[in-house]
Amino acid sequence: MKNKGMYLLLLPGVLFLTLFLVIPIVMTIASTFYQEGSFTVQGYFTFLTDPYNLKILWTTLRVSLVTTIVCILLGFPAAYYISKLGARKKGILLALAIFPLLTSSVVRSFSWMIILGKKGLLNSSLLSIGLIEKPLEILYTPTAMMIGLIHLFLPLIIITLVGVMENIDPDLLKAAESLGASRFTAFRQVILPLSMPGLIIGSILVFVGSLTAYTTPALLGGKQGVISTFLYQNAITLNDWHMASVIATIMIVITFVVIGLMNKIATKLNPKG
Amino acid sequence: MKKLFTSLLSVSALSLALAGCGGGEQAQPAGENGEAPKGAPTKLVISTWGFSEDFFRKEIYEPFEKEHNVEIVLEIGNNAERLNKIRQGSSSVDLVYLSDYYAQQGIDAGVFEKIDRSRIPNLNEIYDIAKAPLGEDYGPAYTIGQFGIAYNPNLVKTEIKSWADLWNPELTGKLTLPNITSTTGPMILDAASLVAGNQSFNEDQAFAKMKEINSGVVKYYDKTSEYVNMFTQEEIAVGPIMEMYFKDIQAAVPEAKFVSPEEGGYAVMNTVNIVKGSKNKELAEDFINYQLSKEVQEKAAKAKVDSPVNKTLSLTDEEAKGITYGEETISKLRMLDMKAVNEKSKAWIDRWNREIVQ
Repeated sequence: MKNKGMYLLLLPGVLFLTLFLVIPIVMTIASTFYQEGSFTVQGYFTFLTDPYNLKILWTTLRVSLVTTIVCILLGFPAAYYISKLGARKKGILLALAIFPLLTSSVVRSFSWMIILGKKGLLNSSLLSIGLIEKPLEILYTPTAMMIGLIHLFLPLIIITLVGVMENIDPDLLKAAESLGASRFTAFRQVILPLSMPGLIIGSILVFVGSLTAYTTPALLGGKQGVISTFLYQNAITLNDWHMASVIATIMIVITFVVIGLMNKIATKLNPKG
Repeated sequence: MKKLFTSLLSVSALSLALAGCGGGEQAQPAGENGEAPKGAPTKLVISTWGFSEDFFRKEIYEPFEKEHNVEIVLEIGNNAERLNKIRQGSSSVDLVYLSDYYAQQGIDAGVFEKIDRSRIPNLNEIYDIAKAPLGEDYGPAYTIGQFGIAYNPNLVKTEIKSWADLWNPELTGKLTLPNITSTTGPMILDAASLVAGNQSFNEDQAFAKMKEINSGVVKYYDKTSEYVNMFTQEEIAVGPIMEMYFKDIQAAVPEAKFVSPEEGGYAVMNTVNIVKGSKNKELAEDFINYQLSKEVQEKAAKAKVDSPVNKTLSLTDEEAKGITYGEETISKLRMLDMKAVNEKSKAWIDRWNREIVQ
């Protein structure tokens, strides 16, 4: 009984999450199957058979995927470097890496507007050193959106990777090298598989974050929308909560599919888990 | 364990009950006649845009609060968000400020109370078109603004005079237009139909004309602040905007010009309505009357916050700069039929998404 009593400690958290997370989500999903009192999948059928909607979905997935890949490429070496440092330097560099997360996404997006704009920092410096003849059109394109998202989510992947890499015993590398592995092989066979849990969690966070981000695409993106801005348009401007819920459910499903796929990849790459 | 569970339940039940109390204010018995009673202090919840909040608080709300012994509580947000909250039924708003486009949606959704015009005598002092833009049962327009074109003459060499000038290829890559989902979106669609040579609105030709201009558009703006930002950063040099925001543009680009297009600018009317179920209906009517009074209209006009609809006030040329003022100006404005616009808006948004922005 004493041990069972410990479960009570979970109760407030579980109660809170059930009331304010699980029930609303279940209600949102359930509402998509009912229209005018009867069961229907018409909403999904309408959404998924419309090439225009699929195009928005595709753009969103593409942007999220590119963001995730670039975050991995930039975050992995940085995390590896940080994890090798002493406590003091590590603290400073981690704080710097997390910094973007501490500013509001509106402020961050506005900074990017100033940098990427026609008269922005980037264009004016490239123009003045003569690398380009007329300003690059970056702002209000998917590229600007991706730059904003990478800036936003890079810290997530660095934090999770550093956490995992710190725990890799440096002796393992030495052992691998003494057994004749080249540095690259040692990296591929030892560091990479052992970092896999951090990489997977980090990638999931980045991918799902990019998929659902609203402010950054709304401010930096151009004429073409992504799924979150489309959802907003349906809910707020059109007051079509049914379609908005359908889109939300589709986003939830995509999220779970992505998490499942990533876990599959992880087991493949690192069977011992 | 059972005990803990029970106490948890009662705590949550209690907090729910408390939350339920928050919005409910005691209904005031109606006064003898005319003004609402000034006895016990009450709370009036006004849902409005966030702009010039300091001005409204000090110059408009405070005197009313004192006179009527009432506390004015604000709910801030854009048209769509605020209307949505009211439609979801989860708000205690008494009075809601909305542009005519959104107010019509509120009427269609049945979320507004019918007003008693006999309790709002100042209606007699305002322009006829402002009295009942959405029907006798609903609130008046307290301000009429003009939707015209602003441009930066440093970057746009040809003078802009008309809506048709927006289609000049010289403006490619320098142009912004309102998004179809914003209040002024349907106006640009109407202008496109006009430019295509139609007297009455022709949807197909309007969309064809929009398609022509699309490649030259940098971004379709959703918020006026976006427009002002892009103009200041020289991302754009020309685009249609409401006259009352022109002063923000001029603050950053002093040479900027505002034009009332030859074909006529569009009237943007902001209305004020009472939300269904309001327990302070009479007080809210008093506030509408107050909002239309010469005193308030003059203050807002002089502060260049809202263009006046009250005909009894007169402004000097300097005071009228940057606002839409005068019977002659008002009479030239083009008006859209908001009922028709709202009926078509969903189809237009869909068509716009598919045909234009792709």
